[in-house]
Amino acid sequence: MPLPIISRRRLLHGSSAMLVGSMLPAAVRAAGTAIRVGMIPDAGATQISVDEKRPLQEYLASKIGHDVDLVIPTNYNATVEALGNGSLDFAYLGGLTYVQAHARYGVIPLVQRAGDQRFHSLFITQGDSAIHALTDLRGKSFAFGDTNSTSGHLMPYYYMQESGIDPERDLKYRFTGNHPATAKAVGAGIVDAGAIDESVFHAMVDAKQIDGSKVRVFYTTPPFVDYVWVARKELDTKQRQSLAQAFLALKDPRDKTVLDILRGKEFLRADDAEYDTLRGVARKLGML
Amino acid sequence: MHALIIAWHTLLAFFPPDLSPSYLRYVWLPVTQTVGMASAGMVVALCLGIPLAIYVGTRAPGWQGIVGMLSALRAIPDLTLAILAVVVVGLGPAAGMAALAVFYTAMVGKVFAELFLAAPQAPLESLRATGAPRLAVALFGLIPLTLADLLTFGSYSFECAMRASVIVGAVGGGGIGTELVGAVNGLDYPRATTLIVILALLVTSVDTLGWFMRKHPRIALVLFPMGVATMLLNPPQVFVLRHALATFAGMFPPLLSTKALAALPALLWETLEIAVGGTALALLLAIPLALGAARNVVHTAITAVVRRVLDVSRAVPEIVWGLILVVMAGIGPLAGALALGIHSAGVLGKLFAEAFENVDTAPVRALEATGAGRLPIVAFGIFPLAIGPIAVHTMFRLEWNVRAATVVGMIGAGGIGEALYNAQQHMHYQQMMAYIAATWLLVILADVAGERVRRRLGWNYVAT
Repeated sequence: MPLPIISRRRLLHGSSAMLVGSMLPAAVRAAGTAIRVGMIPDAGATQISVDEKRPLQEYLASKIGHDVDLVIPTNYNATVEALGNGSLDFAYLGGLTYVQAHARYGVIPLVQRAGDQRFHSLFITQGDSAIHALTDLRGKSFAFGDTNSTSGHLMPYYYMQESGIDPERDLKYRFTGNHPATAKAVGAGIVDAGAIDESVFHAMVDAKQIDGSKVRVFYTTPPFVDYVWVARKELDTKQRQSLAQAFLALKDPRDKTVLDILRGKEFLRADDAEYDTLRGVARKLGML
Repeated sequence: MHALIIAWHTLLAFFPPDLSPSYLRYVWLPVTQTVGMASAGMVVALCLGIPLAIYVGTRAPGWQGIVGMLSALRAIPDLTLAILAVVVVGLGPAAGMAALAVFYTAMVGKVFAELFLAAPQAPLESLRATGAPRLAVALFGLIPLTLADLLTFGSYSFECAMRASVIVGAVGGGGIGTELVGAVNGLDYPRATTLIVILALLVTSVDTLGWFMRKHPRIALVLFPMGVATMLLNPPQVFVLRHALATFAGMFPPLLSTKALAALPALLWETLEIAVGGTALALLLAIPLALGAARNVVHTAITAVVRRVLDVSRAVPEIVWGLILVVMAGIGPLAGALALGIHSAGVLGKLFAEAFENVDTAPVRALEATGAGRLPIVAFGIFPLAIGPIAVHTMFRLEWNVRAATVVGMIGAGGIGEALYNAQQHMHYQQMMAYIAATWLLVILADVAGERVRRRLGWNYVAT
C-alpha cells in the first residue's frame, strides 16, 4: 500500500490550475480522416524523428492526394499490432516484422528498395579491438538492435550459430533497441561488438555521426531480404496501388531529399515469396 | 574503472538539456497528452471507484467479492496493463488512458473502501437507525467522516497517475513517456533531460495542487473538464471490438514451454533480488538524506537543499531512472536495483525526515540537558525514537518495489519483467499471459506477506 506524500507548502497554487486549464486548446488534434502511415522505429521514435521525415510525409500526401499522418511507434511489435487493429493503414516493416505481420494479419507487401532484396548485416567492433572474425566473439559483450530487428538480431544471430557461436552461451549480449544506438554503443566501447543494418551504418559514417576509423566492420553476412512497405489487408487495390506508385515514381536525383530519408536510390515491387527463406530462419529460432 | 569512465561520459551527454523554443513547441502536444491522460484516468477512476467503494463501505451484499476483485486488479502492474491496452486499443493516448483508468479505479476503489470500512461505526449506526437508505448513509455519514483522508489519498493518487502516465507512454501509450523512450533509444540525451525536467515540474505542480485541493476540495472539479476533454480529443484511433476480443482471447490459455517453465523460478528470484536490493539501497541513502532534511537535526539552510534533492529523485519514476541507468550502467538487474533505490530513496527520505521531526521532544531535551553534543543527540535520541516509523515505511516500500521491480524489468533490467516484455515483443501472447499471471501472484504474495509481518509485529499503521 503506497503512502501519501504530504505536499510542500509553497509555490503558486492557483497558477498550476490555470496552467493546466490553458493546455486544453493545444490538445485539439486534426480530424482522423488522414491516411496513417507507420514506420518501425529503426532509428529511434520521437516527435523530432517524425519531423525529420516531414518531406516524405508531404511527398506521399501530394502523390496520393490525401492527408497523411506519419507515425513512428515506440517499438517494432507495436507497429505490427497497429496494422492488425487498424490504427495504421500502411507501414514500413523489417523482414522479420513483415513475416510476423503477414502470418498474424495477412498484411500485403507493396514495394521495397532495390537493396532490400540483397541486404546485409554488418558486424562492427572498435578500430583497435582484437576481434577479426565471428569466432573471436567468444566471451565478449555484444549488442543487438531491437529484438524484432532482422538485420540487427535475427540474421546476425543465425549466422553466428552457423559459424559455431552460440550467442546464449558464448556472448554477453543486450538489445539497444535500434541501429544508431548499436553503433554508438560500439563506438563508445560500452560493448565489444555489435550487429547493425548496413544502410544505417553507411549513412552514419557518411554523416560523420560515427568515426569510420574508430568503428570497424569485421564481418558481413551473406545477403538476405529485409525491409518492405506493406498495406493492411482491408485496404482495396486502388488504395494499395496509389501508395506503391508513389514509391515507384521516386527518381534520383530529382527526389533526393525523400530518397535520403528512405536511405535508398529506387524502389521495386515486393512479393511474399521472397521471404520464404527468412520465414524458415525465423521459425527455426522460435521468433515466428 | 573503464566502466565508470564510460558511465561518467554518458552522464555528461545528458547535459545541457535542449531548451530551444522549437523543441519546447514540439513537446507541447506530448505534455498536454500526459496531463490529459492522468486527468482522464483519474476522472474514470473516481467515477467508478467511489461507487464501488461506497458499495463496499456500506457492507452491501457481496461486498467482500468486490474487495477481492479490486485487490486482484490492483496487483497487475500499470505497465502490464498498458501493454495489453496498446495491443487491444491501438497506439496512442487512448491506450494510456485505458490502462490508467483500470489501474486507478482499482486503487481508488480499494483504498476508499478500506477507509470507509475503517470509519467510526457509531455515527453510521445512528444514521441507519433513522431508517436512512444506504445512499444517504454514504453521503451524509461515510463521506463526511472520511473526507480528509479521501482528499489526501485522492490528490496523492493524481500525483501517482501523472508519473504513471509516463510509464504507460513508454510502451506506446502516447505523451511524454513515448517521447522519452524515443529520445533515449535515439541517443538524444539532451532532449531526454528536457523531458525529465518537464516531468519533474509536472509532478511537483500536481503535488502543490494537491495540497491546495485538500484545503479547497472544489479545486478537484478542475479534473473533470480536463479529463473529459482529453477523452473526447483522443478517442481510440480505431477500435474494432471483434479484433480486440480476438486478440485478447488469443492470449489464453497462458502457456509456458517446459524450458521456460524451468527458468521461471530464477526469473522470479531475480525480480525479488531487484526489489530487495533496491529497497536496501534506498534505506542506506534515505537515512543520511533524511537526517539532512530534518529541521530538528540540521540548519534549515541545509534542509532546504536536501529536500530539493529528495523532490527530484521522487518526482522521476523508477522506469525513467531505469532508462537512464540502463544507458549508463548497462543492462541487467543492477540497473534495475539502482533505479528502484534512487526513486525510493526520495520517497523514504521524505517520510523518514518527517519521522525524525515528529519524535517525542522530551527524551531529546533530556539528552540535551546532559550537555550532549549534536551527534550523540541524533545517534542516541532522535534516531532510536524514529526507528518504528522507519521500519514501517521501509516495509511498505519493499512491497511496492516488488511491483516496481517487474516494471523496470521491462526496460532491460532483467527478471520476470524482461521475460514478459520479450514474450510480448515476439507476440508470444500465451507465454506473456503466463508471465503476467506469475507476476500477479508474486505481487499478491508480497502484499500478503507484508501484511502478516506487520500484524505479527503489531504495526497497525493506517495504510493510506
